Amino acid sequence: MIASIPSAVLLGVDGRTVRVEVHVANGLPGFTVVGLPDAAVRESRDRVRAALVSSGLPWPRRRVTVNLAPSGMRKGGAGLDLPIAVGVLVASGVLATEAVAGYAFVGELGLDGSVRGVPGALVLADALVEHRVVVADENGVEASLAGGSCVTAPTLAEVVARCTGRRPWPRSAPPRRGADGSAAVVHGDLADVRGQLVARRALEVAATGGHHLLMVGPPGAGKTLLANRLPGLLPDLDGETSRVATRIHSAAASPGATTRLLTRPPFRAPHHGLSAVAMVGGGRAGLRPGEIGLAHGGTLFLDELGEFPTAVLDALRQPLEDGVVRVSRAHGSTTCPAQFLLVAAMNPCPCGQGGVPGACRCSPAARARYARRLSGPLLDRFDITLRIDCPDAAELVGHGTGEATAAVAERVAAARSRARERGVRTNAELASSSLDHVAPLDPRAAALLERHLQSGELSARGLHRVRRLARTVADLAGAGSTVEASHVAEALFLRGSRVVLLGEAVR
Amino acid sequence: MSPAADHDQACAAGLVDLPGMTPVRLARLLDGFGPGLAWRAVAAGTHPADPARRFQSAARAVDPAETARRYTAAGVEVLLPGRSGYPAALVGDPGAPAVLCASGDPSVLEARPAVAVVGTRSATRYGTRVASDFGRGLAEAGVVVVSGLALGIDAAAHSGALAAGPGSAPPVAVVGTGLDVIYPREHRPLWERVASEGVVLSEAALGTPPRPRVFPARNRIIAALSDVVVVVECHGRGGSFHTVEAAARRSIPVCAVPGAVHSPASRGTNGLLVDGCTPVRDVDDVLTALSLATGGTPHPGARRALGSPTEGSPPADDLDRVERAVWEAVDEAPTLVETVLLRTNLSLAALTEAGDRLAARGHLVAGAGWWTRA
Repeated sequence: MIASIPSAVLLGVDGRTVRVEVHVANGLPGFTVVGLPDAAVRESRDRVRAALVSSGLPWPRRRVTVNLAPSGMRKGGAGLDLPIAVGVLVASGVLATEAVAGYAFVGELGLDGSVRGVPGALVLADALVEHRVVVADENGVEASLAGGSCVTAPTLAEVVARCTGRRPWPRSAPPRRGADGSAAVVHGDLADVRGQLVARRALEVAATGGHHLLMVGPPGAGKTLLANRLPGLLPDLDGETSRVATRIHSAAASPGATTRLLTRPPFRAPHHGLSAVAMVGGGRAGLRPGEIGLAHGGTLFLDELGEFPTAVLDALRQPLEDGVVRVSRAHGSTTCPAQFLLVAAMNPCPCGQGGVPGACRCSPAARARYARRLSGPLLDRFDITLRIDCPDAAELVGHGTGEATAAVAERVAAARSRARERGVRTNAELASSSLDHVAPLDPRAAALLERHLQSGELSARGLHRVRRLARTVADLAGAGSTVEASHVAEALFLRGSRVVLLGEAVR
Repeated sequence: MSPAADHDQACAAGLVDLPGMTPVRLARLLDGFGPGLAWRAVAAGTHPADPARRFQSAARAVDPAETARRYTAAGVEVLLPGRSGYPAALVGDPGAPAVLCASGDPSVLEARPAVAVVGTRSATRYGTRVASDFGRGLAEAGVVVVSGLALGIDAAAHSGALAAGPGSAPPVAVVGTGLDVIYPREHRPLWERVASEGVVLSEAALGTPPRPRVFPARNRIIAALSDVVVVVECHGRGGSFHTVEAAARRSIPVCAVPGAVHSPASRGTNGLLVDGCTPVRDVDDVLTALSLATGGTPHPGARRALGSPTEGSPPADDLDRVERAVWEAVDEAPTLVETVLLRTNLSLAALTEAGDRLAARGHLVAGAGWWTRA
């Protein structure tokens, strides 16, 4: 007899539906799984058999063949245990075909017959939205975020009892919105930062305009402290971004993302030892999303930028441009959204003291080597390049504590609403062609830019970036549609000069 | 020149150029031997200072006359102690190089007092300005400026000396690399000007690359050539201290330029002052130290105010209120933009606009996160 049970497997941040076909026929007793299963799926034979026996269900003493259709696609993960078990029960006549009609199953089985959760329940449930999806208890909330019909069961025996109507399905809890687990880590308040007026301002501009930010400075100047306070300035995720970000975190099995919709922008701060695959995504069968996917809608913070392998950093260039990352492997390819605010921190040179004249002890060759680790195209992606120094304590006397995160976040939200009126999420997304229209320059501002272009300090590409930055500065100042000279001057200052930052100072 | 002298020079060039030769080994080989004799002994494997016959096979494979022609073709003269061109100040010096290579005119050191102007490679604007002023003022006073052609202070001192008017003393450079290995590479124009107007000296064979150990050895020659050593800016330790120690061992006076106590680049020089070195503020101070050292009278043409510290007077042309406030909030020393912001209470936009205008008119210099008065 034949059974065909719908289920799904993960590929990147997408769920691919899989039909689990089970054929039970006369012949030598045996159990074969075909259809490009990976190791976890092949091992499911033993789990399924033990779970059936432990649950007091009969195991067919006949030949059992399981086919995972479409058979050309590689399938991974243990989520196919439950559909295989149900398929065996249907094919061996224990369950009626009608009892499971309209249901789809996703879940791993324990040897005792318990149903366990799997990563990416939200994405899988989303792919099976036209079915009533049966998942483990612990996946219930996550799967219900997909919006389709979804029920849970703790054990295989319960699944059978509930499908046959001997016991009712429990009502699942409605999905909750609110602070999510992973990003709920308290990042600290800007009020804790003493001084650093320039850096605070840069954070505010970066958060408002979505401008990538590079902080260069000696150890202990507060680069990490400042970067950790950036997420607090970002507004809540909008509905679509929130849904996409939650899907990505679900597919990557991030802890905490499985119970709620992400509403706060995620903050990812990978260590510089990570591989290129961990950064962009990939891996064996599942093509798990990488750090840049997980940072979608939020912030990717790369501390000690100079220590990251060059290959990992250069892998960022295409996603920074396109907002998505395409991961292709021999067995499949996937596209993961990756729109994030890139914040990076680094020392100016190996000794860390470069920049202020006379302080650096590095040889010119060592400094040049250090600067060469970062490719020009990557450095060019940073709209704001900022020098961070230890504030002079004596100068701080008599100046109160700085503004709190909440006050700055309010200004950021107000300025962001002006960007939305232009039809973009943030000013960093403004097309170069639209700049003359949305960010016209007043004559003095135009003259200022002209002077910097002629002196060679500003390239044509840099010009567009400075104009977007100036638009953000003007938005924060509440200025009208015209960008003034002071906004351009601030934008030029914030853009900074890489030569000055990474080389020794002017001689 | 006599054929015998020619032959000695050729053998000296041959010895310097042997692979694996170092100044110390060369001094041992030439100690008590003339170059010709030393060469024959090395090639025969009978030299007592080369019992392992380290150089024998290499010496057999080359003709010293050929090596000498190569040095001459490269514009390099080989100087031997006691022969013409070899600096008199080095004769009798315990660490004198057994052979010196010279590119340029080695006679410029004759009958002229010499002052070494040395310091850190990562100098501040203050340091490079002082070094340049000293270089120029000393050269105009007829004093040979000796330095090492390194980045920072050395380069500023040489540039200053080269900028002095006609009739002034030519500069002398002592380098650690071979005379055909210009290091740092960006100093090629400066190097060539020093070689054409003065002389560049090295005890290393042609082709010797920049290695960390060659520079301290070079510094002892700088000290030994000079009547006074002036340290303009240096960190707690490093190359300049090798020069200072070499000078102290030879009882050559060491002068230091005072710097801001907060400046890391002046930490070493301020420490030298605490240890009792003579402070020098301008060229006159250096010339006074020089006359004390050489027992002569100060150079009559030297009484000129050079590099006198300028008072913090605002720039001549009129600034608007904001620009003046910004200019007054910026120190002579590099001032963090952060600090200027705190002092002026302006918004970053207003501050950067005024700063940009001041920089465009040459009143301010902007660096990485700091500004300073021009």
